[in-house]
Parts: sequence; C-alpha cells; structure tokens
Amino acid sequence: MKSFMIIGQFVPGNSMVHRLDPRSKLMVIFTFVIIVFFANNSVSYGWLTLFALILILLTKLHIGYILKGITPVWFLIIFTFILHLIITKEGPVLIDIGGFAIHKGGVLQGLTISWRFFLLVLVTSLLTLTTSPMEITDAIEELLAPFKKIKVPVHELALMMSISLRFIPTLLDETEKISKAQASRGVDLRTGSIKDRVYAIVPLLVPLFISAFKRAEDLAMAMEARGYRGSEGRTKLRQLQFKKLDYMAMIIYLLIILIFFSLR
Amino acid sequence: MDIQFEKVSYTYQVNTPFSYQALKDINLEIKTGEFVAIVGHTGSGKSTLLQHINGLLLPTEGRVQVGDFLLSRKNKRQDLKKLREKAGVVFQYPEHQLFEETVERDISFGLKNFQVPADEIQTRIMDALEKVHLSEDVLAKSPFELSGGQMRRVAIAGVLAMNPEVLILDEPTAGLDPKGQQDIMNMFNHLHKTKNMTTILVTHQMNHALAYADHIFVLADGSVQMEGTPKQIFSQADELKKANLDMPDVLSLIKRINQMFGTDIAYERRQPAALAKEIAERLRENKRL
Ligand SMILES: Nc1ncnc2c1ncn2[C@@H]1O[C@H](COP(=O)(O)OP(=O)(O)OP(=O)(O)O)[C@@H](O)[C@H]1O
Ligand SMILES: [Mg+2]
Repeated sequence: MKSFMIIGQFVPGNSMVHRLDPRSKLMVIFTFVIIVFFANNSVSYGWLTLFALILILLTKLHIGYILKGITPVWFLIIFTFILHLIITKEGPVLIDIGGFAIHKGGVLQGLTISWRFFLLVLVTSLLTLTTSPMEITDAIEELLAPFKKIKVPVHELALMMSISLRFIPTLLDETEKISKAQASRGVDLRTGSIKDRVYAIVPLLVPLFISAFKRAEDLAMAMEARGYRGSEGRTKLRQLQFKKLDYMAMIIYLLIILIFFSLR
Repeated sequence: MDIQFEKVSYTYQVNTPFSYQALKDINLEIKTGEFVAIVGHTGSGKSTLLQHINGLLLPTEGRVQVGDFLLSRKNKRQDLKKLREKAGVVFQYPEHQLFEETVERDISFGLKNFQVPADEIQTRIMDALEKVHLSEDVLAKSPFELSGGQMRRVAIAGVLAMNPEVLILDEPTAGLDPKGQQDIMNMFNHLHKTKNMTTILVTHQMNHALAYADHIFVLADGSVQMEGTPKQIFSQADELKKANLDMPDVLSLIKRINQMFGTDIAYERRQPAALAKEIAERLRENKRL
C-alpha cells in the first residue's frame, strides 16, 4: 500500500536543499509556480528546466526515484499533451489521418503546456521531498503571520495542518493492519462484483473511524494535560532562522529570475 | 498442515529509499500439531514472518510451503482464500478489527466470507463462544460496549469460529492484566492439546514460551538466531542475551536457588505450586546438612 504513496514523501537527508530554511524553499517554490507561466519561448523553458535539473542534483536524491514518485501525474501530463494535440487547429497540417488533422500549432501547444505542467509538479515535489511536513507547516505559519492582524486563525490552521500531516502515516499503517486482519477473515477486495467490493470496504472503514476518533480524543487530552492553550504566549522549540546559505540562495535565485526575464 | 520456509527473504518497499529487509534467508519447519513459539526483540521480524504463513505477504525471495499451498513471487495468482480459512491469524490487538453492530454478527463475519452453510453458522458461533469463555448474553451486544478483555475474546472467537487447522497468534496477550493473560494462554494451550491444533505463538514473554511451546525459534535482526526445545534454548543464557532477550523468571529463580544452596532442582514444566513444594523440601533437607 505504502509503495504507491510516494508522491513527494519526505526523504530525510543532509543536502544543501535539505538544510535551507523552509521559508526560503516555500518562497522559491511559490514564485517559481508563477514564473513558469511567463515562459514563452524554448530558451526560457530551457533555462527553467536547467534550474530544475540543478535543484534535483543539489538534493542528492536519485533522479529515477523522483520521476517514479510523480508517476500518477505522468498520466495527466500525457493526457494534457494529447488533448492539446487534438483540439488546437492552428498552423500547417502535419499529418492527416482520415480527415483527422494534426496541426503544427497543436504539437507546439501540447508540448509547452505539458512541459510547464511537468516542471510545476517536479519542483513542488522537490519541496516536499526535502522538507519535513513539520517544517513546512512552521514555515507557513511564519509566512502567514501578518494575516493574524485581520483575524485569520493562522496558528489554528497551521496546527490542524501539522496534526493531519502527522497522522497520515499512522492512518496508513492502521489501514494496512486492519485490511490485513480482515483479509485473514476472508475479505477479498480483488475479486467479486462491484457491489461486493464496495461492501468489503465497510469492515475497513468502521474500525478506522473508531480508532481515528479515539486518537483525536487522546491527543486533545494529552495536549491539554501539557498545558496547551492556543498560540497566545506560546514559544517555539525550533525557531526558524535565516542563515548565510539562505541569503546566498536567495541572491542566486533572484539572478536566475532576472536572467529568465531577459531571455523571454 | 506442515509449514516450511525455504530461504525466505522479505524486503519492505523494494526499490525506494525506504526499502528495509525485514527477513533474511529464513529456513524453518513447523510440523502439524506442534506448538511453536517465535520470540525476538522488537523489530526482529516476527510479525513479518507470521504474515507469510497465510499469504498476506509473499516472500521477496525463496518460498513458503503451507500444506498444499506453495507461496512465492512466481506463484502470485492463486486463490488464497482456502489457505486463509485453514490458517487463522489473531493479530496484535485483534479487538481493533471489530466492526459489526453485534458480537454475533462480528463472529459470523469470517464464516460468511468463507461460505460456511447458514445452518452451521449458529453452532460454530456457540462453539467459539464457549472456547473463549464468554456467555451467550454478549451475542446481542455491540462489541464496542464490552470491556477490553471481552473485546479481545470476541475477536479471538471470530478467528476460532473458522475452525482453522493452524492458529497463528501475534502477541495475543499484549495489554491484558496478568490474570487475563493466564486465562487466554491456558485457553490456547487447551485448544492445542484437545484439538491437536498447530499453534504458532509470537510472544515477548519468555515465561509463555517456556511454559507452552514444544519448539522455539529465536529471531534476531531478521534471521533465525537459535532454534530448539525450550530446554535447549534457555540453557544458553549468553546467546539469548545477544538477541536482547531475558531468561524466564522461573528459570532465573531456580538457577539462583541452585547456586546459593548447591541444590539441583529442575523446572520440568511444573506449576508454581509443585515447584514451590520441591524447593521448600530441598531447602529443609539443606538445612539439616
Ligand atoms: N509496512 C512496513 N514498511 C516498512 N518497514 C516495515 C513495515 N512493517 C514493518 N517494517 C519494519 O520491518 C521490521 C520488522 O517488523 P516486524 O513488525 O516484523 O517486527 P516484530 O518482530 O513483529 O516487532 P514487534 O515485536 O515490535 O511487533 C521493523 O524494523 C519494521 O520497522
Ligand atoms: Mg510484531
């Protein structure tokens, strides 16, 4: 079960990218997502691709692992390409199969859109691959802190997020355990009619919900017992701190963006 | 059903940075009707090994033979339902698998899945209830209004109702009070003796391994480090220590007494009362000397 769930699963490490402050990474990713949409020719796309490749090298992760990790998205990328190939009717006809024409514009459009998509997924998955969920939520809480002034419950949102992230692996473990227990009692999710299979989910879901509620209750109790009273006056064990590495990375990133805009 | 592991290795999450080899080249044999204990430090691979016996996991390398079933990577597409009916597993904290509205329906859940004829289900439920020492009153109750110990018994009844030939137990007494542990272990022992049920027990309690098992396998770090009768295993205290395991309390006590008083009392699977009697007698003799 777990082997399917590796889209951007955090891989601990000590590379330069791992050591960056999560806020830096978040800002880079956020701006990158916007900038990708400004790419308008092959040189600017090439420049962003080069940037992504260098990032991958810096993470010291296996490139095959990263590409396999986004497997579910490959399907979408290819689908996007084919869609544009079929519906864009611009430029000279390249091939004509029984009245069904593929235009040059379609090929170009398909390539650029799916490439853009690919870059987005690749770079965002690098964020989650190199940053623990806790770091990400800490960073989000810090970056959104100004919104507290207009009564956005930033701390509560971040807490909710970190708790959910914390319990995803636990719930997956639990799912696996319970489904094994029910499989031992003869539940078979692989054969039988659709109706049978839907019914076979009940013995899995009921125990899962029960244990999730129990866990939530225990957690709330434990937090109160340890004096949790919301964000007011609460200090942090891990203070986020920009380091030299972050300033350097930011400067280089700014240069990369400037070069990018001059390449357009 | 005889069980045989041949050069079995198992790796979790193969081909990812998280891959972890939990079993390494395991060879072992369990004969029909044996009571086998599998002991080992936490994380040594006991649960992983158990899950190979009813095909929940297939070996990454090697093969497992359970009765007529041959389990291996190459043999993926076989119907494992028959095997799972014959090899019942009681998982750690089995009460977590309860889900039905009533105890009766939960116990019959497995029976329905294995297509046991409807007229037989009722007698099977009654049988199972009797085996786990629960009264009929619980049948109509929701499993979730029972106590922890009762829930455990209901879950175990759900497995016993399938009339398995092999009973696989993953720490069935974890989290119970000492009396509850004793009751449950006695129950499994009784089933083993009367029904000649092959029983495979994973346990952290050396006392249980000593008291009930015919044969013990000691796992360490995914490999079988020692195997033999309880007598053979527990006479090698140093080896046990290497696997991070303790001696059973009784044996430590007898050893100390023998050392202190120069006696040669042996355990011989006696109940505490019988042992205490001998110890008292020997000490009295000892004083006279
Ligand atoms: N689904 C999984 N994915 C990855 N690794 C796993 C998985 N399940 C178990 N492991 C690892 O395999 C090793 C053996 O696990 P196993 O559950 O068999 O140990 P165990 O001997 O039953 O331990 P315990 O006494 O704590 O129950 C452990 O190190 C564990 O971390
Ligand atoms: Mg275990």
